[in-house]
Amino acid sequence: MPAHAPSDPTIAPQLEVAGELLALLRDATTEPRQDTQLEALTLAVAADLPVLLWGEPGIGKTAALTQLATALDLPLTTVIASVHEPSDFSGLPVLGDDPAQQGVPMAPPDWAVRLVRTGRGLLFLDELSTAPPAVQAALLRLVLERRIGTLQLPPGVRIVAAANPRASAADGWELSPPLANRFVHLQWTHDHEVVVRGLGGTWPRATLPRLDRERLPGAVDVARRAVCGLLTARPTLVHRLPTGESRRGGPWPSPRSWETTLRLIAFATAAGSSRDVLSLLVRGTVGDGPGLELLAALDRMDLPDPEVLLADPASATLPERGDLRQAVLDGVVAAVRRQPEKSRWDAAWALLARALETGAPDLVVVPATTLAALRRPDWDVPASIERLAGAVTLTRRADRAAAPTGPHTAAGATAATAGARR
Amino acid sequence: MTPTTPVGPGTPSIPGASARPGTPTAPIELDREKLFAARLHAARVRPYLATALFALHTVESRQVPTMAVDRHWRCYVSPAFVARTPITELAGVWVHEVSHLLRDHHGRSDRVARERGLTGRGERLRMNIAADCEINDDVFGEGLAEPAGAVRPGALGLPEGQLLEEYLRQFGLGPGTLGMAWLDCGSGADGLEREWELGAQGAHGLSEQERDAVRFRVAQGITGRPGSAPKGWRRWAEEAFQPPQPWRELLGAAVRSATSGAGAGEDYTYGRPARRSAALPGAVLPSLRRRPPRVSVVIDTSGSVSDAELGSALREVAAISRAVGGRRDLISVVPCDAAAGTVQPLCRAEGITLVGGGGTNLRAGFATALRTGPRPDVIVVLTDGQTRWPGTRPPCRTVVGLFPRLRTRGSWDENDPDYVPDAPPAWARVVEIGSTSATR
Repeated sequence: MPAHAPSDPTIAPQLEVAGELLALLRDATTEPRQDTQLEALTLAVAADLPVLLWGEPGIGKTAALTQLATALDLPLTTVIASVHEPSDFSGLPVLGDDPAQQGVPMAPPDWAVRLVRTGRGLLFLDELSTAPPAVQAALLRLVLERRIGTLQLPPGVRIVAAANPRASAADGWELSPPLANRFVHLQWTHDHEVVVRGLGGTWPRATLPRLDRERLPGAVDVARRAVCGLLTARPTLVHRLPTGESRRGGPWPSPRSWETTLRLIAFATAAGSSRDVLSLLVRGTVGDGPGLELLAALDRMDLPDPEVLLADPASATLPERGDLRQAVLDGVVAAVRRQPEKSRWDAAWALLARALETGAPDLVVVPATTLAALRRPDWDVPASIERLAGAVTLTRRADRAAAPTGPHTAAGATAATAGARR
Repeated sequence: MTPTTPVGPGTPSIPGASARPGTPTAPIELDREKLFAARLHAARVRPYLATALFALHTVESRQVPTMAVDRHWRCYVSPAFVARTPITELAGVWVHEVSHLLRDHHGRSDRVARERGLTGRGERLRMNIAADCEINDDVFGEGLAEPAGAVRPGALGLPEGQLLEEYLRQFGLGPGTLGMAWLDCGSGADGLEREWELGAQGAHGLSEQERDAVRFRVAQGITGRPGSAPKGWRRWAEEAFQPPQPWRELLGAAVRSATSGAGAGEDYTYGRPARRSAALPGAVLPSLRRRPPRVSVVIDTSGSVSDAELGSALREVAAISRAVGGRRDLISVVPCDAAAGTVQPLCRAEGITLVGGGGTNLRAGFATALRTGPRPDVIVVLTDGQTRWPGTRPPCRTVVGLFPRLRTRGSWDENDPDYVPDAPPAWARVVEIGSTSATR
């Protein structure tokens, strides 16, 4: 077939039609949707911490960064690390007239100069893991020290790096523990539902967290209390180098990463973010184990104070979740044990009765047994204890179930509760 | 979950109780006291599961045949089932259901479904059966009665003590599983949402972070007092938040990072002009120069390592070295038992001779590998660790692929029966080979 002559009138319209088709394909709407990982990323970037996104190639990291840049109102600069040389990040040596006198200046690349001139922007370093080691070394200096050659990036510039998990990275790059410790590691995964809906023409539009100025002092207080409280109780968590192959290159606890965590808690609190967002951030900074312990400590800080409950048992609100409720009741009994007084003992019984009326009865049994054992000879049994009769029959049934199997019986519990009723 | 069994002669007959799901029943009051007495009993005999048991939110439901859980930690309870089940059995069901959630059966089912392309209700039923098999072999006894009809691996002709993923490969739906056809532990067991579930938007569900927090507390309780929990639970607790990775990936990562690390085979050089020099006349730029890494594989051929283990590990190392740009002729193999054998290049090692047996002395292996010229960039050692290690760090990167040995083999040193082999030295990166477990 002969080639079309340039003057062929059918060519230009064809391209126009193609353009129309492309425009139709690009035409997509958005819908608001809660996006935990994007929210976590936004907070970490707002907190000016180096973030490392771990994710398989092609799952929308760049799209997320575009959204983030819009939300923070920053121009986005994307640099694909794997196509650069180390000198692109550490500066190109340029010979002058007299190097011995004037030295050899390290010239920064043009995008860095533009960034510095603008004073603000979001710098996205993609494909960190496929770059050669020397390039990675130069990049890490850029991420951690914010220097490109002789240029210092202004504070208005935020940096996010992305890497492929080592299983899918072509040359299995991984971070050494000291470097890993400086990053907030966020695992970037795709949500099947979001992708299918997006390809159908509706992409999610995340509503991103806003920092609330009025909450700032309180947020710092919460963050300090949480981290200091945990580390006081668990000194071994302060510094724990990762052991074992499967933990390499991931987050681990050290004074530096705890400081990062403190900052992240303050930001999440000031933004009113959910626990899920905070969980991603904290576990990405100090690792799963210490992170979950910190979150548990935060949960405990949220529980009602036993002394407040004892002061006014009638209007007490107990947590709905069974395990938390039992933790509160145990705390109340422990408070009575610390400071045994008749009035406090009575108040605790009133609280247990209230717990029995508003939730599962089996939760009350253990605290009731312990409380009964705290009785002094001259204390009369309060009237509210009659309302605990349900718990006693329940205990009896459980005891009877346990009876034939022998060693696991807890007949003492019934005896103690019954003793309190006498 | 236990399928409802027809009301037998031994069970007190409850008016209106129906053994069939979906059949309209005369409303039976949910005996909350009995239900919670059972939970209390379960928490007493399995104290390490108490947190998880109490975290469950109970929902009365007439559409579940017995008891079921959803992935948001709600527990659906049939009043009729509570009425006809003895407390110790009920306690067993409580523990069974909470085990599904703790062991993340829904998440793992989803993952398996994705990886192996298993779709449809039949596959989800198989997942439920496999999940039940994983739980039921060590959940009952010691105060918990096994409910009638609980699925045991033995009923399918399978061995006990395996994981959901392993069971799934070993059976299909057929006459043997007919009795389980309407087994239903809810989406908490197999990941498939049911129409009677309250879903993510419903009240009193646990968020993902809360679920992790509960699982973490249980795992901590078990590892903190390991004496009281059975082996299956201890294994779960150790791995719950430290997902084991397949050794191929880990060994691959270790060898790759050793061979592609700075200094091994790749570096910048000013010895020849950079490709950009023409564009930047005033600048002096280094150019990238790549030399394929030399890898020396020291293989422990003592009697304690099986040929199959060696074969798979050697193939793996060869594949990895090729992937990072190594050439076959740059990989050499040093068989090593009490003395090191001769160095053999891999290119003519299709039928490599791995002669050996008896004890191991890896010091000799290291020495031989380092003596060869040109010196290797990386030494990969494949051994079971029953050996003496070199006292000093060799002048190249070292990766150790360790075949796990559950117990130390009998004293191989007759003069010193109490001899305990050294652990691999700190300068080597150690990857345990052969742990195929895939809990997460």
